[in-house]
Amino acid sequence: MEHWMQERARLLTRRHFFGRMSAGIGTAALASVMNPGLLSGAGAGSQAGAVHGALPTLHFAPKAKRVIWLFMSGGPSHIDLFDYKPGLRQHHGEELPASIRMGQRLTGMTSGQSKFPCVAPMFEWRQHGKSGLWMSELLPQMGRVADRWCVVKSMWTEAINHDPAVTFIQTGHQQAGRPALGSWLSYGIGSENQQLPGFVVMISQGSGNKTDQPLSTRYWGSGFLPGQHQGVRFRSQGDPVLYLSNPPGLDDPARRRMLDATGALNALAAESFGDPEIDARIAQYEMAYRMQASVPELTDLKGESAATLEAYGVRPDAKDGGFARNCLLARRMVERGVRFVQLFHRGWDQHGDLPRQIRGQCSDVDRPTAALVEDLAQRGLLEDTLVVWGGEFGRTVYSQGSLTKDNHGRDHHGRCYTILMAGAGVRAGLTYGATDDYCYNIVENPVHVHDLNATLLHLLGVDHTRLTFRFQGRNFRLTDVHGELVKGLLA
Amino acid sequence: MPLLNPSLRRLLAWAAVLPALMPATVAADPARLDFNRDVRPILAEHCLNCHGLDDRTRKGGLRLDRAEDALKGGKSGHPAIVPGKTAESELVKRLRTTDPDDRMPPEEKGVPLTDAQRATLERWVAEGGEYRPHWAFIKPEPQPVPAVKKEGWARSPLDSFVLARMEREGLEPRPEAARPTLIRRLSLDLTGLPPRPEEIDAFVADPAPNAYEQLVDRLLASARYGERMAVDWLDAARYADTHGYHIDSARDMTAWRDGVIRAFNDNQRYDQFTVDQIAGDLVPGATEAQKVASGFNRNHMINYEGGAIPEEYHTAYIVDRINTTSTVWLGLTVACAQCHDHKYDPITTRDYYGMYAIFNGVPENGLDGRNGNAVPVVRLPKAEQAAETERLAAILRTAEARLANPQPEVREAQREWERSLAKAGAAWNIARLAKAESSAGARIEEQKDGSWFVPLPAAPREDYVLTLAPIDAPVTGVRIEALPDDRLPSKGPGRFDNGNIVLGEVVATSGGRSLAWKSASASHSQDGYPVAKAIDGDLATGWAILPRAGKASSAVFALSEPVTAGAAPLVVTLRFSPAFDRHSLGRFRVSVTSDSNPQDAADVPEAIRAIARVEPSARTAEQEKEIARHYHEQVSPWMRRLREEVASAKKARDDHDRAIPTSMVMAEMTKPRDTFVLVRGQYDKKGEKVGRTLLSALPGLPGGGEADRLALARWLVSPEQPLTARVTVNRFWQMLFGNGLVKTAENFGTQGDLPSHPELLDWLALELVRTGWDVKGFLKMVVTSATYRQDSRAPRTLYERDPENRLLARGPRVRLQAEFLRDLALSASGLLDDRIGGAPVFPYQPAGLWEELMSREDNDAFTAQKYVPSKGRDLYRRTMYTFIKRTSPHPSLSNFDAPDRQVCSVRRPRTNTPLQALALMNDPTYVEAARHLASRMVEAAKSDEERVASGFRRVVGRTPTKREIEVLLRLHREQVAVFRQDVTAARRLLSVGDSAPTSGDAAEMAAWAVVAGAILNLDEAVTKG
Repeated sequence: MEHWMQERARLLTRRHFFGRMSAGIGTAALASVMNPGLLSGAGAGSQAGAVHGALPTLHFAPKAKRVIWLFMSGGPSHIDLFDYKPGLRQHHGEELPASIRMGQRLTGMTSGQSKFPCVAPMFEWRQHGKSGLWMSELLPQMGRVADRWCVVKSMWTEAINHDPAVTFIQTGHQQAGRPALGSWLSYGIGSENQQLPGFVVMISQGSGNKTDQPLSTRYWGSGFLPGQHQGVRFRSQGDPVLYLSNPPGLDDPARRRMLDATGALNALAAESFGDPEIDARIAQYEMAYRMQASVPELTDLKGESAATLEAYGVRPDAKDGGFARNCLLARRMVERGVRFVQLFHRGWDQHGDLPRQIRGQCSDVDRPTAALVEDLAQRGLLEDTLVVWGGEFGRTVYSQGSLTKDNHGRDHHGRCYTILMAGAGVRAGLTYGATDDYCYNIVENPVHVHDLNATLLHLLGVDHTRLTFRFQGRNFRLTDVHGELVKGLLA
Repeated sequence: MPLLNPSLRRLLAWAAVLPALMPATVAADPARLDFNRDVRPILAEHCLNCHGLDDRTRKGGLRLDRAEDALKGGKSGHPAIVPGKTAESELVKRLRTTDPDDRMPPEEKGVPLTDAQRATLERWVAEGGEYRPHWAFIKPEPQPVPAVKKEGWARSPLDSFVLARMEREGLEPRPEAARPTLIRRLSLDLTGLPPRPEEIDAFVADPAPNAYEQLVDRLLASARYGERMAVDWLDAARYADTHGYHIDSARDMTAWRDGVIRAFNDNQRYDQFTVDQIAGDLVPGATEAQKVASGFNRNHMINYEGGAIPEEYHTAYIVDRINTTSTVWLGLTVACAQCHDHKYDPITTRDYYGMYAIFNGVPENGLDGRNGNAVPVVRLPKAEQAAETERLAAILRTAEARLANPQPEVREAQREWERSLAKAGAAWNIARLAKAESSAGARIEEQKDGSWFVPLPAAPREDYVLTLAPIDAPVTGVRIEALPDDRLPSKGPGRFDNGNIVLGEVVATSGGRSLAWKSASASHSQDGYPVAKAIDGDLATGWAILPRAGKASSAVFALSEPVTAGAAPLVVTLRFSPAFDRHSLGRFRVSVTSDSNPQDAADVPEAIRAIARVEPSARTAEQEKEIARHYHEQVSPWMRRLREEVASAKKARDDHDRAIPTSMVMAEMTKPRDTFVLVRGQYDKKGEKVGRTLLSALPGLPGGGEADRLALARWLVSPEQPLTARVTVNRFWQMLFGNGLVKTAENFGTQGDLPSHPELLDWLALELVRTGWDVKGFLKMVVTSATYRQDSRAPRTLYERDPENRLLARGPRVRLQAEFLRDLALSASGLLDDRIGGAPVFPYQPAGLWEELMSREDNDAFTAQKYVPSKGRDLYRRTMYTFIKRTSPHPSLSNFDAPDRQVCSVRRPRTNTPLQALALMNDPTYVEAARHLASRMVEAAKSDEERVASGFRRVVGRTPTKREIEVLLRLHREQVAVFRQDVTAARRLLSVGDSAPTSGDAAEMAAWAVVAGAILNLDEAVTKG
């Protein structure tokens, strides 16, 4: 009953607000157009912890206001990049002991293999920073900012195939139909920006592997939440936001004149019908008009210095599939208050030809990632922006296919993998959790996908058990009925 | 300074009117609490998680969902409720106490109760603590039509129910809307398209007293009606044109979709429709249409991601069927019971898996769909295809007859060959292997007879790298014998089920140098897989041996140049084609020869050579047959040509077969799979075995016991079953009024919303059943009501008091759903192509939207990876025919709240976002429609005022006011002036889209296109008012 009343009150308040608007539409009104929940909390806006979403107030003082998630799609090998196990060399080529494998399920791609020879990384390791963090030689720049990283070596997931694993880490459920983390945030706490979406997605193609795993819009879909909370894809081809540009032959003054005409007619209709939704429509069109200016301003990198472009590695001839540019855009977005920016960099699925492919993938992301972290830090944004780097699972210590002197592959591995975080609210220089000598099982401080999501929400000031949405008679949440805050990661 | 800030004050003001808006089940005594309305929601939200049906999570042995348990109490022995005695009721004590150990609900669990909720529970106990069954689980009862004060308004009992509620709320109905508004509302609701101006004029001028009813009849008879009704059904059925997981390639369920359109147009009774959708295949004497209809429950997503585990996905399909079926017909969410007994509704895990068993008998695969539709399917050849099938079969029969009866010359040639065979014969030496390695890591074990065995389990794809021990004599050829072995499936020689092998390529190297082959011959080759394919350099083709599973076959490969493999060993690599994974060799022997002509006789098995040594006259018939067969199959060039003719005839037949459309359907295995309760819903944790049963808590069970799908379908529409009729009429109501009487159309359980007009809902449900589930009749009854005909213009105070129009004191006013928005633009501009059904189409879509999500290098191997826009008429089909790719839905759909069809959906949200405004202004679909509408406007009249009015009417229905015309004319004047200065810009605007550029005075026409665009973007244009 209470829920019903809340909903009604929110609806009425919003309607009423729009009902009072006339032709001149204030900024606050536009903000609430992007985030219909803006007015849900009475008197919100000026109080600490106030939000522009469905939550009346944040549950905790937020450490992070924004998140940039660099999602490495396909499952980067933790063994070759982060989880340094010098002893693995001695086991190179040896059969993985049954005591380690413990008969856990394998994908259909290697379940037929009769041999499971361990593979030590075929690249050198380097130690970095005050924390003495080990990283592969393939990631020298990310190593350079070692002391900013909070490294979680004990991530794990239940899924062992791409589609369910990405769906799981994004939405907390392996099957389709639930909202992504970014959608939950857009719904729960809204955007800080009045002219940009609260949840932006950008995609880049990895240079290491050309048979990428496909992506699906459901990875950033809003599931059962209203559609305005779905991730908005910013594209590097055509309009950055779909249908942003006026059609050929129609310039900005013409658009303005058309909007003035429709606005005038809609205002007449609002008078005649009495329906406040018409006022909301007027506001949406004005908002769209503003976006036609604010989005190109955002995506135009002309104002960035040559040094910045060089630091990120944004070059016309870059082979990174656009990752560097997307990293720089991510910074520009969080500067403008976009809540959640997620980059999908594809091509991390090294079933075979791992040494060559992973070298390409690393060279795509190493420099831009490090540059982003440093740039955010220099601008004071890292204090309240969280950067996350990682994929949907790790890879097996044993070789998929034949192991030769200089080549091999690795299959999917969900029982442990590594992700990196930097910035707001997480302890810099920390390495959390540990795996066994084979990078196969977690031996210390496991962090489940639900735990990670619970922790991310916590950093944003949200109790993961209290950001819920009623659908089909049940209060759903991102972490389902699971998830524990990982206190050990907090600064 | 005001005491309260304005927004808070406003909130309080609304709070004051809230009780008046509460949907109410009418309590007999308004002074008393109503259990279902007032109490159950509090119990459900705050108590039943630990004190509900699920005994595994129950705390303190206490159940609060049933009276008998609450009266008894839990382990403590104190009754939770002592009727009328709050002080003695443990429930109340626990609510009141301040002791954190005893206080309920416990602080660490869930949401605390408000004071008001606590007071409600206490008052409920004080009033006797009476439980009442959940309203939706009780069969609808005939409802007396309520008395109303306002006379002459109600046209039917429906209106009396609505009016009675309005009168209780102190509200008056709105007057009937004007005719142009009514015809637009009706046309959009019943056909999804706007009325044409001449239709509006005819209706406005129609003097017949039943003009409105005639209009309704005409619209219901329109073929567009079936399309309109199908759109909502496709959401419910999660219909799409791709499989949805991972690669997300295409499927073809258009026959099913077109069947739905037809069923609505034919006004198939909803109970029969239900039976066909769920179990059409099981109806005795099922027609093709009924089998196709059963595909309703094959519309779920299907996976074939490499490496995925079949059982995991098979489970997901069945779970989807249960969730979809229960949501669509029962309005219940049973998904919780997959893992545990439902916390709120009386659905146990046993119930759930009973239903699971009903859907578990389909002869389907866990992983499937790589090549279009997944089994089981029905084939649906078109008439001309059936004729072609006949023609190709005749060609094949002729070719086979020629092959079976060789000409005499063949026999003579055979004799000659036999004579040479008796003499010839190369000497073969079994090669010793210095090293035998599998790329997948399999061990390759030497056998006593010089052959090699590769144990199971086998990887789907691998190569064998065989390093031969040094050989002194020059090698001219290599022989590979594929040998049977009892340890292999089908006794080998292959390592997988059918015993076959596909040797994609045989590669020889010596000292790192590749050696060229001269020729290849084999003792036997499977049709279409000649041994020459093993040395053709194409790994995707190869040598296969069926039907000789469990028997020896051998192949000889002659080198172009003899090689001496002394210091540099000869390495022979057997590569098994990844195009045919799971076809590696389990036992084999390698031999070499120095014979100058290794291919001649050596490939002939000893058995054949033995026969050749016997004089023809002395041979048995069996021997004669055997040697002739060998000659025909392996040696004779003439026969080879005949065989190739047969093969190509077969290929033509198979290619043709593949082009015959199919539709995925339901079917039953002769021996159904066993079904087990899955512990915590996990596919690999099987609990007790269960049979096929229906939900135990709902009435209407036909005699208990085993139930198949047909029984389930019939039970869903049986008159005893309390939910289906209510759920169905509620969805129709939602379609017409924007919200259902039960707002949570997907959930009629205890956690769903209560009906705003419970008696009306029951009355409507009984009417639907009484009239024989006649959908058109039902819709006609609703749209001819005074309630539906009300004007949607209303004082702002009414909109503010009742923003969702739950009290129905005004006409419906909601934004059009995605499909009908675009259809309206196409229709008003004259672009709409009105063909019904058929293959999906590809309207304009920004370039690269699919491609940047898809795999790159190998995506030609799959369908639906690249978006190729349609040409010509297909660009302007109704939006429901747009190709629905689940992992990347068309933006004109997803932007406007159309679900992505991954799971069942029976209620769409209606958002209002700037991205929608951008699409309506700038999507070429709308820009092109605007310039076509402009042409129509200019053709319609001479005066500018009339031109504006005609465009306005095509989109909005009504005639614009003078003031509205003036605003648009001003826009026109301004734009004409601008375009006169820049005619190039005008021409560019007039060329948007694939259709021919708009003709006429460019500046003038472009300005009209801007005006038409403004009209298409009006709130009234995108709204059903």
